[in-house]
Amino acid sequence: MVTKTEETQLNRLENQVDNGGGGAWEYLCLVRKLKVRRSEKVLKHGLSILNDLKQRSSLGSDEWTLYEQVAVAAMDCQCLDVAKDCTKVLRKRFLESKRVGRLEAMLLEAKGSWELAEKAYTSLLEDNPLDQAIHKRRVAMAKAQGNISVAIDWLNKYLETFMADHEAWRELAEIYVSLQMYKQAAFCYEELILTQPTVPLFHLAYADVLYTLGGLENLQTAKKYYSSTIDLTGGKNTRALFGICLCTSAITQLTKGKSKEDKEGSQLQSLAAKVLEKDYKQRAPDKLPQLTTALKSLTLSS
Amino acid sequence: MGLALIVGLLGLLILFHAAYSTIQYRGLLKITEEEFSGPPFDVVIELFLGLLLCFWAALTAPGKFLSIHPHSEDNSLFLECRIVSLPANLDFMIFNHRGKAFPVEMDLKLRQ
Repeated sequence: MVTKTEETQLNRLENQVDNGGGGAWEYLCLVRKLKVRRSEKVLKHGLSILNDLKQRSSLGSDEWTLYEQVAVAAMDCQCLDVAKDCTKVLRKRFLESKRVGRLEAMLLEAKGSWELAEKAYTSLLEDNPLDQAIHKRRVAMAKAQGNISVAIDWLNKYLETFMADHEAWRELAEIYVSLQMYKQAAFCYEELILTQPTVPLFHLAYADVLYTLGGLENLQTAKKYYSSTIDLTGGKNTRALFGICLCTSAITQLTKGKSKEDKEGSQLQSLAAKVLEKDYKQRAPDKLPQLTTALKSLTLSS
Repeated sequence: MGLALIVGLLGLLILFHAAYSTIQYRGLLKITEEEFSGPPFDVVIELFLGLLLCFWAALTAPGKFLSIHPHSEDNSLFLECRIVSLPANLDFMIFNHRGKAFPVEMDLKLRQ
């Protein structure tokens, strides 16, 4: 998970490296640690280190990690020659490595040689049927080819074995959302909340899915999860604040004032609206009129 | 906090003294060739007193509890440590995206 401090640090390092202030290796390490996708910059700065013999030799055993990082970034940027060269260097150094084998299969993927990549992954899985990374690559490959149903099947099969893999649950949830299969997506987000209850973004995504599903019960649950997002972020999540407003408005329309929750709901509404107005005053005062209009249209103006 | 530590140390000293007294008492019984049925009454009292003092110190020394809520005043580091984004799901990274149509316009080569 990327925290506020880490995000600030990453942006600072990125600016520093882009402006020639050094610290390329620290930047690459942070990108790897935070698992952010900055392929173009990784490729540029990673190659500058690898092409400088003095810098490269100072890395020690981390040199090979950098080769791998640059290879994947090169594939992502369609610089397949660079990816091929990096993979060759790694293969020369680690002759029997399955990890390099996976990298070679990924290179085939990047080229669009799906059948060859599939063969490579199958042979790697024969050696080690429990290699999670390769199972995930097969899912990614099916998704890349547009075979979403195959990707879903494989992911479900994968999750039967590796139930605690939250990255896979998240991927499955995102695929389901893209297919508008919201009930299934909700189940995936429930699993994610169970495994990582302190991550507010999962609460938020779950609330979004429930709000989209609609219906009184779902809306009430969505409101609770938007509230928990606000609680976990210290009131700093604008989307959750809007979610509270929208949920309360929708619940009011559905119940037509029959609900006993009305008083509590309207209090929560006005609180969320106040926080939103305060936030907009601070950060985007020019957009405040639009916000006020939007809140009025939801009969929420504070 | 300071008082609790002093009381705790006192409790420990009393416990050690009780243990030492019991050892001495058993040594005395060996000399008089009597059977050991249990420590003397004053040592038992001493043990309970030491135990009570240690308990009291253990319960008060750790200090006050911090709030469980992440945004409370106690957790001043919260704003810096709050999660702002999820990592990219790199295990499921796919390569046939719009980058294929707009390849990187840099003359990049790996020099061996």
